[in-house]
Amino acid sequence: VRLASGTRDWLPAELRRKRAVEAVLRGVFERWNYDEVQTPNFERFDSLEAGLGEAVAQKTFLFADKSGTQIALRPEMTTPVARLVSTRMREAPLPLRLSYIVPAYQYEDPQEGRMREFTTAGLELIGPESLDADAESLFSAIEALDALGLADAHFDLNHVAVIDGVLAGLKLDARGIANAKHLVSGRNIVALRARLAGTGDPATLEAIVRLAMTRGTGDLLEQAARLCHTDAGNAGIERLRGLLGRAAERGFANRLSVDLTLLRDIEYYTGFTFEGFAGQVGFALCGGGRYDTLLPRFGFPAGAVGWSLTVERILIALERRRGTVPSVPG
Amino acid sequence: MSAGSGLTVAIPKGALYDESVAHLRAAGIEVPGDPGRRLEVTTPDGTRVLLLRPADVPAYVEFGAADCGIVGADVLWEAAGVVCELADLAFGACRLVVAARRVDRYHEGAPLPTFLRVATKFERTAETYFADRDLPVQLIKLHGSVELGPLVGLADLIVDLVATGNTLREHDLVVVDEIASSTARFVVNPVRFRAKYDDITALLRKLDAAVRA
Repeated sequence: VRLASGTRDWLPAELRRKRAVEAVLRGVFERWNYDEVQTPNFERFDSLEAGLGEAVAQKTFLFADKSGTQIALRPEMTTPVARLVSTRMREAPLPLRLSYIVPAYQYEDPQEGRMREFTTAGLELIGPESLDADAESLFSAIEALDALGLADAHFDLNHVAVIDGVLAGLKLDARGIANAKHLVSGRNIVALRARLAGTGDPATLEAIVRLAMTRGTGDLLEQAARLCHTDAGNAGIERLRGLLGRAAERGFANRLSVDLTLLRDIEYYTGFTFEGFAGQVGFALCGGGRYDTLLPRFGFPAGAVGWSLTVERILIALERRRGTVPSVPG
Repeated sequence: MSAGSGLTVAIPKGALYDESVAHLRAAGIEVPGDPGRRLEVTTPDGTRVLLLRPADVPAYVEFGAADCGIVGADVLWEAAGVVCELADLAFGACRLVVAARRVDRYHEGAPLPTFLRVATKFERTAETYFADRDLPVQLIKLHGSVELGPLVGLADLIVDLVATGNTLREHDLVVVDEIASSTARFVVNPVRFRAKYDDITALLRKLDAAVRA
């Protein structure tokens, strides 16, 4: 008797630990006034497809019901929440603050922190497109990791328009830009240098490559501003400056960096994005950002910002923590 | 940082070892020239250096047992995992080539067999190369002495690394096509790069200076 690949049982002691993590998260979600929702574990693929994007759609478990309708096991929760808001909650006054802790499924090669069945928990703030909303989302994520006992977690921020604005100054076609962004995102500096060769003057190219190797704060944003060629990119830089300012007011200044390589592989992000991580684990602890075009794809004209984490990854990080010397205090 | 970087660096034993050690020394990390049978050494500046089989370097970096490492690009082509290539260290140059027996005259344009048998240690790279050309092939994975393949009729072609070309010449094999060229790379774990940004960036700067010197 064997389990399906990428699934697991939870014995009583294990489940107690998992439930404790979920309880801490629920407490944080309630403190920030987010109401919990659930959607079906499976739903019609055609009602999610509009939001998922190709990368996630490819990892989605699909099957046909007896009538031949294509059914998807929910691969993540942001799209189902967008679907829910744009149908049953159309009349609700904005902003909407919704939270969830639900199982999700992705067809992955099982590895540390990546199972085919996992528990996704997160927040979505629907309505305002303001700096306040972005800051609320980011700070609630920081507080969630703090409450979980991961107070040394560090957060990297980006805005998806910045790298587009920087690459817009080069002689690259659409495919070249996509290719260069892929290399930036993997921080594959050697191949990036080769790809950009001949697309601009050498000093500019070297500055762009440096940008992809650098994490920083205001100084990095200044360098990016000098290289940025689009209004959207400059607006993105302004938004990041605003977020760093708000974070400083709240005492989070030394928890944040800007990293322009942070291009999360989910296609619906349109604005600021972030990830939280800690030294002991080789994967992000949480991540999120702004996705203003997702709800309109479901016919509901509203912006949104949100983040999520995988509960199992938090358990691994906490376990790893106990086995090691505490890392550098913040 | 006061006493040393506190970094764990993975380096390959074998062909790239001496140059890797020379580069680390130029960056102030005193790795012994002859480590004997040790698998890890802690240098006077506090850096932990792991001495690994070349093919194992990507895994140690990917899973964070090492923060960063030195490894040939040829090894990275075959590794499935995710590491960031931050710098080309420019030593250990070699080429990955398709080679065949001189008498088969494939290098002069003689028609290839209907169905190619290809012996190689570089399965992933070879598969991509032939798939890109829509050529049906049977890949035969070998672990050493690939040049023997065509001589005894195991394979029509080989895909193998060439540094000087001596091995090919000794066996009367010739290059049919060049797939890629390889040099040593400085690689990092993407999350460790963020967590130990200052230390890794400092080491990278010193390695870069050594390359340019």
